[in-house]
Amino acid sequence: MGRHLSARLKRAEESLALGAIGGILVLAALLPFVFLVVNLLRAPAEMSAGLALLGSREPWFVFLRSVASALVVAIASVLVGVPLGLLLGSTDVRGGKAALILHAFPMFLPPFLLALGWFYLFGRSGLLGGSGQASDALFSLGGSVAVEALAFTPVVTSLVALALQGVDPSLVEAARVAARPGRVATRILLPFAWPAAALGALVVFALSLSELGVPMFLRVRSYTAAVFARLGAVQYAPGEALVLTLPVLIVSVALLFLERRLVGPRSFSILGLRSAETTVLPLGKWRPLGTIIAWAGALATLVPFVGLAWRASTGFAALPDWIGTGPQNSIVPAAIAATLLTGIAVVVGRAIALRRPGAKALDALTVLAFVTPAAVLGVGLIAVWNRPATQPIYGTLAIIVIGFVARYGVLPTRTFALAVARASPHFEESAAVEGAWFLRRLVRIVVPLHARAILAAWLLAFVFCLRDLETTILFYPAGSAPLTVRIITLEANGPEPVVAALGLVHALIVAAALVLGAVAFRPRKAS
Amino acid sequence: MRVPLKLAALAVAVCAPLACKRAQREVVVYTSVDQPFAEPIFREFEKRSGIQVRAVFDTEETKSTGVLNRLIAEAQRPQADVFWSGDPVRPFILAKRGLLEPYASPAAASIPAQFKSADGSWTGAAARAKILLVNTRKVASADMPRSVRDLASPRWKGQGAMANPVFGTTTMYVAALFTVWGDDRAKAFLEQIKANGTRIASSNGEVRRLVTAGEVAFGLTDTDDAHEAQQDKAPVQVVYPDQDDLGTLVMPNAVVLIKGGPHPAEARALVDHLVSPEVEKRMTDTAGHIPLRRDVAVPGTPGPGSFRTMQVDYARVADEIAKIEPWLRQWAGI
Repeated sequence: MGRHLSARLKRAEESLALGAIGGILVLAALLPFVFLVVNLLRAPAEMSAGLALLGSREPWFVFLRSVASALVVAIASVLVGVPLGLLLGSTDVRGGKAALILHAFPMFLPPFLLALGWFYLFGRSGLLGGSGQASDALFSLGGSVAVEALAFTPVVTSLVALALQGVDPSLVEAARVAARPGRVATRILLPFAWPAAALGALVVFALSLSELGVPMFLRVRSYTAAVFARLGAVQYAPGEALVLTLPVLIVSVALLFLERRLVGPRSFSILGLRSAETTVLPLGKWRPLGTIIAWAGALATLVPFVGLAWRASTGFAALPDWIGTGPQNSIVPAAIAATLLTGIAVVVGRAIALRRPGAKALDALTVLAFVTPAAVLGVGLIAVWNRPATQPIYGTLAIIVIGFVARYGVLPTRTFALAVARASPHFEESAAVEGAWFLRRLVRIVVPLHARAILAAWLLAFVFCLRDLETTILFYPAGSAPLTVRIITLEANGPEPVVAALGLVHALIVAAALVLGAVAFRPRKAS
Repeated sequence: MRVPLKLAALAVAVCAPLACKRAQREVVVYTSVDQPFAEPIFREFEKRSGIQVRAVFDTEETKSTGVLNRLIAEAQRPQADVFWSGDPVRPFILAKRGLLEPYASPAAASIPAQFKSADGSWTGAAARAKILLVNTRKVASADMPRSVRDLASPRWKGQGAMANPVFGTTTMYVAALFTVWGDDRAKAFLEQIKANGTRIASSNGEVRRLVTAGEVAFGLTDTDDAHEAQQDKAPVQVVYPDQDDLGTLVMPNAVVLIKGGPHPAEARALVDHLVSPEVEKRMTDTAGHIPLRRDVAVPGTPGPGSFRTMQVDYARVADEIAKIEPWLRQWAGI
């Protein structure tokens, strides 16, 4: 009897583990929406008001405008990111690796910080903005699109560069015998880069559609900002805001469908297949020009830092008066959330890669939670967690951790899924045949085998939690505002040099995390 | 295993601060007063009283209503002890929901009766006024707009700006117009404003930006925003509108105690501080506010007695806001 039970438990162990971890995700990400839906059903007036609003022209105009601008941002990112990824990831341009790292850095920062940097350059009192025309251009839909495109292009560049590292170098060498570099790039490398570029475009589209800080700062009407502002109107109507998110949810589901159709498993196979040797396409006489173009493109994303540094030059002295506990309030919950998320990613990411039952649904949940306007998630989290019994959570930084877990599950999960998909399953299968339990296999085989992927997943989750603004702004505990929230609340009528200096502090924290990550990633010499 | 072990150690290290209990005396305040002005005042209070202030600030977009809605969302289990509102009508919305604890602060004894409630449910502190900020490079002093009605005047077609009346102090101003003019006239006025091409900005700060940049000739905004523009040496002039009839709306900040807040004694101490003459003077000096007390005069700053003020009942204005909000939303669009 005991042996039967043990055997059944062993068989069910993986499903139970996935169920338990999935339960955490459901608790963090789905429950807030369930609460809002239930509350909405209890308040039919709010539902009818929301539906009436959706029945009018205005919200659809703003929504379609936001979708169109996100589309333009995605297209611009692909147009710039693909050739740049090609140059930086697979050719012999000088300092390509360094240029790629510098180029990629801004994607780990809150985009509104970059908007601030552009403002300090081209605003009316900015370093280069005396005429006022540049300022007008910045504070426009075009300005917002340009700022977001420059902020998100590194996503495409990095994915393309990463994908090209998986191309077999012998293919390029063979092609180079008869073809020029341009032909090799378009006929051999680009087809390999396509799924990565498509994935990058989808990610950029989702990031742009859900972006709150940039349109809010540049005073451009966007649907996400409108939903956020709905929660700030006199009559508190979270249900109405929930109804307003319906179009975004539809687009999110469509994105998920597109991603699975267009990229699907190829995102795992092509992005992850990193060969031992890296493909290097010699540019020959075009090398100097290629180097100039690559570095110019790479450095374009760093231009806002010139504005931030210029404006911050007189702000550092006053920093101690204004920085408060912002860095601590950002770093501590981000580190805890990243750790939890990485644990979740090991189980769920593996299940996604191995196509276990239920994994697809959890993957969809993490994607939808990432794309849905964070303000709605915030109100849902208040509804779930602000109770007498849960005060140790709601009244502390723990609520921020829950918010991060709810929102950013997709990043470490997909990263880990990528690693598992490209690795051989034989080690784990052999252990299973020998009778090892699931958790033992996980701890003894999967985790050590993918230690670097775990570190990558942790780092990615950490920097995205650090850059968060929109999730936490509605419920951060009093006196514990994360640095990003502090910057945006101080930005209204605050001293500009101090705000710029705070922005640079944030950038330095992220840079330090990435440098530490890079050090940990360094290949160890064999002893 | 090394990496996961390191991660586990890191997790324990970073979790420790979450587990720490707060031993110090503290008070929680939610405020829609701008952080650059409010935070130094909180720090001063901390130094004097030894009580730590934990604050939640509003963003510019949802000014006056973001934290208000958070107070409502948290009503079942209040997290805040004190709400320091940037206007006197939001407290009435909380009062209607039974979220306020009356407290007549002894420090507010010298505040005129019209700027505080008799039962102590709200106490006014330094005030702002709704003014017209005019770009002097675009408008000669002889041609200055004099009334809020100029926003709807064909003479100023496409040259005016005001903040979205769904948010911030502009909601209060529009509601005040409804109480004074009646529904029909006020609605007609707002429709005329729209038809006149008046720019509807996202916030009062945005109105200031539009005026100082010369994108519009003038805009309806608050004295603190005008103060900012003047501090930046922008080419602007302040006009206290409607001095011949309607008067200029004065909007005192309001301090209220939240019922069931976790630190009632500390909350009273903070309220005493926020309504004190010292804080009123400080808000006047640094934030372009108007003192309510006659003995807190600051050179160069007009007191409420120095211009004609709009005669309104703040409680009625609060009722009016609730009444007109659906129409305002429709008017403003999403």
